Amino acid sequence: MSKTTEQVRKSLGKRYRAEKRFKAYGVSAIGFGLLALVLLFTDIIGKGHSAFFETYVKMEVIFDQDTLDISDFRDEEQLNFANYDGVIRNALREEFPSASGRQERRELYSLISTGAGYELRDMLKEDPSLMGQSVTLWLLADDDVDVYVKSAQDDRLESRLSDNQKSWIESLEAQDRVELQWNQSLFTHGDSREPELAGIWGAVTGSFFTMLVTLLLSFPIGVAAAIYLEEFAPKNKFTDFIEVNINNLAAVPSIIFGLLGLAVIIGLFGLPRSVPVVGGIVLTLMTLPTIIISSRAAIKAVPPSIREAAMGLGASKMQVVLHHVLPLALPGMLTGAIIGMAQALGETAPLLMIGMVAFIVDVPGGPLDPSTVLPVQIYLWADSPEQSFVALTSAAIMVLLSFLIAMNTLAVFLRKRLERRW
Amino acid sequence: MDRMHFGEHSSSQFNEALESIRNNLMEMGGLVEKQVVDALQALLQADSALAEKVMETEDKVDKLEMLIDEECTKVLALRQPAASDLRLIIAVTKAVSDLERIGDESAKIARMGQQLAEEGESPRGYVEVRHIGNHVRNMLRDTLDAFARFDAKKALEVAAEDKEVDLEYRSAMRSLVTFMMEDPRSISRVLNIIWSLRALERIGDHARNIGEQVIYLVEGKDVRHISVDEIEAKLKK
Amino acid sequence: MDTAEKFDDKAPGNAKLADQIEGEQAMDETIRYPDQTVGTPYVDNPKMRMRDVEVFYGEKQAIHGVSLDIGKNEVVALIGPSGCGKSTFLRCLNRMNDTIDICQVKGNLHLEDQDLYDPKLDVVELRARVGMVFQKPNPFPKSIYDNVAYGPRIHGLANKKYDLDEIVETSLQKAGLWNEVKDRLHSPGTGLSGGQQQRLCIARTIAVSPEVVLMDEPCSALDPIATAKIEELIAELSQSYTIAIVTHSMQQAARVSNRTAYFHLGRLVEMNDTDTVFTKPEHDLTEAYITGRFG
Repeated sequence: MSKTTEQVRKSLGKRYRAEKRFKAYGVSAIGFGLLALVLLFTDIIGKGHSAFFETYVKMEVIFDQDTLDISDFRDEEQLNFANYDGVIRNALREEFPSASGRQERRELYSLISTGAGYELRDMLKEDPSLMGQSVTLWLLADDDVDVYVKSAQDDRLESRLSDNQKSWIESLEAQDRVELQWNQSLFTHGDSREPELAGIWGAVTGSFFTMLVTLLLSFPIGVAAAIYLEEFAPKNKFTDFIEVNINNLAAVPSIIFGLLGLAVIIGLFGLPRSVPVVGGIVLTLMTLPTIIISSRAAIKAVPPSIREAAMGLGASKMQVVLHHVLPLALPGMLTGAIIGMAQALGETAPLLMIGMVAFIVDVPGGPLDPSTVLPVQIYLWADSPEQSFVALTSAAIMVLLSFLIAMNTLAVFLRKRLERRW
Repeated sequence: MDRMHFGEHSSSQFNEALESIRNNLMEMGGLVEKQVVDALQALLQADSALAEKVMETEDKVDKLEMLIDEECTKVLALRQPAASDLRLIIAVTKAVSDLERIGDESAKIARMGQQLAEEGESPRGYVEVRHIGNHVRNMLRDTLDAFARFDAKKALEVAAEDKEVDLEYRSAMRSLVTFMMEDPRSISRVLNIIWSLRALERIGDHARNIGEQVIYLVEGKDVRHISVDEIEAKLKK
Repeated sequence: MDTAEKFDDKAPGNAKLADQIEGEQAMDETIRYPDQTVGTPYVDNPKMRMRDVEVFYGEKQAIHGVSLDIGKNEVVALIGPSGCGKSTFLRCLNRMNDTIDICQVKGNLHLEDQDLYDPKLDVVELRARVGMVFQKPNPFPKSIYDNVAYGPRIHGLANKKYDLDEIVETSLQKAGLWNEVKDRLHSPGTGLSGGQQQRLCIARTIAVSPEVVLMDEPCSALDPIATAKIEELIAELSQSYTIAIVTHSMQQAARVSNRTAYFHLGRLVEMNDTDTVFTKPEHDLTEAYITGRFG
């Protein structure tokens, strides 16, 4: 007895050391992963955080009726197409009367964003009594000005702005009339050529509709297919063949589905390009194998004893499936579906193929309106030359990542909650 | 079905327990058998010393009875025996009780022997004692044999013998009572013989009881309190 | 998934069972079987009548020509060593063997006048008349109330809530569980102890008012006290139902049954009154099994 104990004792040291080493490997692997994650987030947040704030300039603006060229207040069209830019230019000239000559004037006018006029229009439409009034407003600055204001002293030397523009800005800064405010338009506007006006709302809505279509198509079809294959299909070569094919589909590169969508859905069935319906169909084809596989696994995991008990009581096959198997398999199915959706949310390639790469300004109203999705939007912005788009790209990435994290957290939460009850 | 095969239990401890019970029973049977033989001899030879020995054996026999009963109780509690094992335990407990009574009867006979040694020989009865004594002795030997070999046929034969013993006993009684009436001076000595004969008749009954237990053990049928013809009929069924 | 680990089933895997049968039939040759079942396998006016039942798992034969009757309100125990076919036989009585693809059942099985394997018979209806309680308690992951109410609901036995409540209460009372759970009918069935869960399963089975209740080793997963409660219950239940119980505890068979059937490698060797089987079995094989001489 004691000889064995001795031998055991001798080997104990080696065993514990091996265990410690193994633990160390595991911890370092996790550490490496965490490090990569931290680097990624630091980079993205570092680049993107500035996009959440935009430069505004305080100006005194007169809603001069003559400049605006509005004769009748109640005329929608006149209100819409009035010369708000003119009003802004007036204000700028007032501020810097020294600007003379076309070149300098152009430089002066380009200090303020072309979108500032729309804000004036909205204000006037809301409160027509402003006509003829002099109002002190914060006007959205141009993206070059924005970059200039946000950059540090050293970087300012590299700005595209002319010396005049720089001096004008600096004088305004000296008067505390230049401020960074929350970038509302990022979340409410669609895409735009002008970085200061560009927003992700169009892409978010597009993604939403696409995901909706994907969910409504893939979940019922996937679950029904899984139930049929697990419960009702006869076990023969044909069903084996189907199973092999489903497993293979899960590994097909997603761009292939895009080609399929282009050729068949758009080409053959003639559905319009770049709409969420088509995007949804393509993504459904992509996520269907994932949902079927995870649903089948969930169904397989339901213990046979429950089925036997139900059958012993005289439940028919359908009743066994609906009353017992499905409710128990649902947590697993939901988890699979949510993870499938999260994957689909981040898909770019197949959607590029069906044309969702177009430049679309309007926020889509429904699933049949042309739109783009978040990942594609990010791709487009990453391609644009203006410096502001760098920050915007990172900001959009942050938004997308937070959606993905939220969806995965929801999956985990749902699974824990539904499992714990029984 | 006169056979009883006792193959091995899957539990060797159970086997050992049953073996022990059977061995002790056989030992007790052997002791009691010797008691009967010795008691008869003591009576016939008026041998006081032998009579004493017989009465001393009582102690051992009693101890064996208690030991076997205890072993049987243990088996019942720990093994929940069923079927043949259960019947074996029940048969053994009953047989042990009968053996112990046989021992008591032998001691009585031995005491009669001592009495005769003091008072002097009885003028009559020794022939009857010898005859019935042998008969009963053989019955006891056969019944123990039948138990050892689970031989229901032999047990049935022993049961049949008991009837003869009863008849012989009654005829012996008649003749001895007649003699006592003719010669009153011999009454007290003849009485000793009569008590001995009665004890022998009792021993025969107990031997028959043991035989009935063997039949119960082997055939599973309770054949107590019925005539031999009825037993035979029951076994044929 | 975690739920799969919680339930450790002994549902026969087809290939495994076939192999097991083959291995045991190798011992076949040295044993003398009776030509006909010894004892009293038949009764007058039986509730269930089985003649020449044969069951095959693919090529392997698991049950060889078994014939017996189960009388009304009788408790019949099926005993025998592992793999002797008693569970397989029991599952023929409510056609649970249908769920196993390679299992084939031949022979004449009747529930009173109804041929169990009549193609026109709806299996669902049969299982409402012949209920089953399984070895491992398997309450549904629903509330206690819903567990018991499930059978009556799907068979349309109670339309109004009042009727359903009554059925649930009666069943739970008959199963000896009412007093323990009447205050928490809506808590999960899986939250009860093992013995209570099994009684819940019994309540669930009798809620559809079956005529016959089959029990497949109902106490093997329970402690002695829970076992004793259920055995007590079986005695009471037999007044209203006919019961067939498979058990690997001989003492249990001795305690609860009226007649006992001894199976050996798929053959019915002996069937007799229980006290006869346990004091004076008629066949060697039965004797050997009961006294523990397995060779």
